[in-house]
Amino acid sequence: MPQKQDILDRLRTGVISGDEELVKLVTQEAIDGGIDPIEIVERGLTPGITEVGAKFERMEAYLTDMMMSADAMKAGMSIVLTKIPRDKIRRQGTVVLGTVKGDIHEIGKNILGALMTAAGLDVLDVGSDVPASVFAQKADEAGAAIIGASALMTTTLPGQKDIVDYLNSTGKRGKHSLLVGGGPTTPQWAEEIGADAYAETATEGVKLALRELERRRKQTN
Amino acid sequence: MITYLDVLKGIHTGKICSERDFDLRVFAPKLKEVLKAHEIKYDPENPVPDDDALADDLWRAAMDFYCDVGTYCLDTERIVQFDANEIAQTLKTAPREFAFGEGKERKTLTQRKPEDQTPPWCFLGAAGAAVSSEANLLSLVRGYAEIPVIDSLTSPALTTVEGMRIVGGSPLEIFGAIRAVGLARQALSRAGKPGLPIMNCISTASSAIATIAASQPQFGLRTSDGWPCGTIAEMKVDYGVLSKGAYLLSWGANVCSETAPVLGGYAGGPEGTALVNTAYNILGTVIQKASYQLSFPMHYRFGCNTERRTLWSISLSSQAITRNSRLPLFIIGYVASGPMTEMVLYETAAWIIATVASGAHVEAEGVCKATHVDHFTPMEPGFAAEVAYAATGIKRSFANELVKTLLSRYEEKLNNPPLGKKYQECYNAETGKPSEEYLGLYSRIKTELEDLGLKFKY
Repeated sequence: MPQKQDILDRLRTGVISGDEELVKLVTQEAIDGGIDPIEIVERGLTPGITEVGAKFERMEAYLTDMMMSADAMKAGMSIVLTKIPRDKIRRQGTVVLGTVKGDIHEIGKNILGALMTAAGLDVLDVGSDVPASVFAQKADEAGAAIIGASALMTTTLPGQKDIVDYLNSTGKRGKHSLLVGGGPTTPQWAEEIGADAYAETATEGVKLALRELERRRKQTN
Repeated sequence: MITYLDVLKGIHTGKICSERDFDLRVFAPKLKEVLKAHEIKYDPENPVPDDDALADDLWRAAMDFYCDVGTYCLDTERIVQFDANEIAQTLKTAPREFAFGEGKERKTLTQRKPEDQTPPWCFLGAAGAAVSSEANLLSLVRGYAEIPVIDSLTSPALTTVEGMRIVGGSPLEIFGAIRAVGLARQALSRAGKPGLPIMNCISTASSAIATIAASQPQFGLRTSDGWPCGTIAEMKVDYGVLSKGAYLLSWGANVCSETAPVLGGYAGGPEGTALVNTAYNILGTVIQKASYQLSFPMHYRFGCNTERRTLWSISLSSQAITRNSRLPLFIIGYVASGPMTEMVLYETAAWIIATVASGAHVEAEGVCKATHVDHFTPMEPGFAAEVAYAATGIKRSFANELVKTLLSRYEEKLNNPPLGKKYQECYNAETGKPSEEYLGLYSRIKTELEDLGLKFKY
């Protein structure tokens, strides 16, 4: 069997280059070779996706690179997770992401989703033109603490308020934090509608989501 | 020649694939392959490149890319594709001239070239940014119409109707669209320019149904206005876009191919953004049968297009398009900062100089990223027009030096740009006149540009 470090390096570079097939093969090779599955995640797959996120920040990688890396990471994770006891799996939390009803702009939301994946969050992308009830329903199904709702037009901003109203009317407001963003969204708007956080950029969105999850964890404990 | 019906057939018969597969398995690898094969490289030292061979190579790269990738239809999940010969024939036989406006405001739009001695078409106003009241819309449009060299209007958008917030896709959007058009036309008449074309019809309407509803002649719009049909990033359309096109082409209206490649998004870096912007021009003729391409490459992080990489993408793709295509190109500038700041005038001058020297026409402009209600005035597009006329005919090498100097005055502030003031805070909304403070700032920056060697025509 090749050196353990060599296998972990190949995993990391496989994720960076977004090579899904290679990552599947090497993950299996690592498991067959007896490498601890936790180590496969923490020293192989995760450093790869973290590096892609850092490259994106430096504008050395772009959205499609991140999406392909996220796919490769997920492919590796789907193999390795079957070998890790549930209580040993350490995930940051789940976020449901989408663009509000009437709005079909997706790129900002997709960039945020890819950066969140790179930061270790589980992201459920519900797409664009999404009604408030679907955001809430998907968040319930996925056990997501955070709903991220993007709006790119002044006329579709009310879709973010609809989510707050829907959560309030169904008695689920406390279950989910609402993170809003997109071109015409402002901190004043977020405050006016009662959103929990406003992010101007995707990078800020990741930080706010992690902070909000941490706040919720502390509240629970 | 590829007809609109060929396109509508193609969206039901083309290769079927998921959107994700189109993005990651068709679009992304081909983009990388073509950029590598044509050795298109970003040069941060030269935001306005001066290399005709590079511009022509980008055009050829965009043709290779577009012929292979095609256009994805979201509703049918199919790729509309045509072979290279059909595309080349369609581009060669496309119209060259397009008429806009009525009466004494009627003009013909054609493609410019890099360093062209003909001034750009000055499409001036708010670029669809939102106003808080009908009174502000009227006052602003009157101010835009009074800009001496205005060729067409880009109207602001209403956010409310009778105090109710306009919701996209709802019946209120139809009321809002009709109301905004009526007000804009009324303001143009008051300014003595009733025939001036409105080329962002309809700022308040995003859906096909609202566009079609508000197009009824009794509401004030005409076939000789400009009708944006927005493509979807990247290289995608849907039934909504194509339905607008079907209606507008049947009516004989000027279709606008609205395109906005995102730097940092699917298009990748500056090279990819330049290539995708150029490919969109081909799409505009082949798929949309457009009368003009209205493009705003945008930086994903800054939400504007006055950043160095974005300016390079705009400049190079404008050169590629204007040297090789018949479909006239407009660039819309989105500046990060707001009214009554030095930065807004520096940013405006930078993108205008880069664009005009590179051959494109201008739509000026989205102030404060066009995301803050009332944060724009007639000063910024008025100043943009003066700079556009001053930059007409200058060499790209000189434009490059000017843009580099201007970048050095605002580049570091793009992360946290000043919002400036609202229209009603820097203009008298009743008289439509700017404050002494804003006039003083404008005069000072204009003098700075003159000191840099820019010769103002008026």
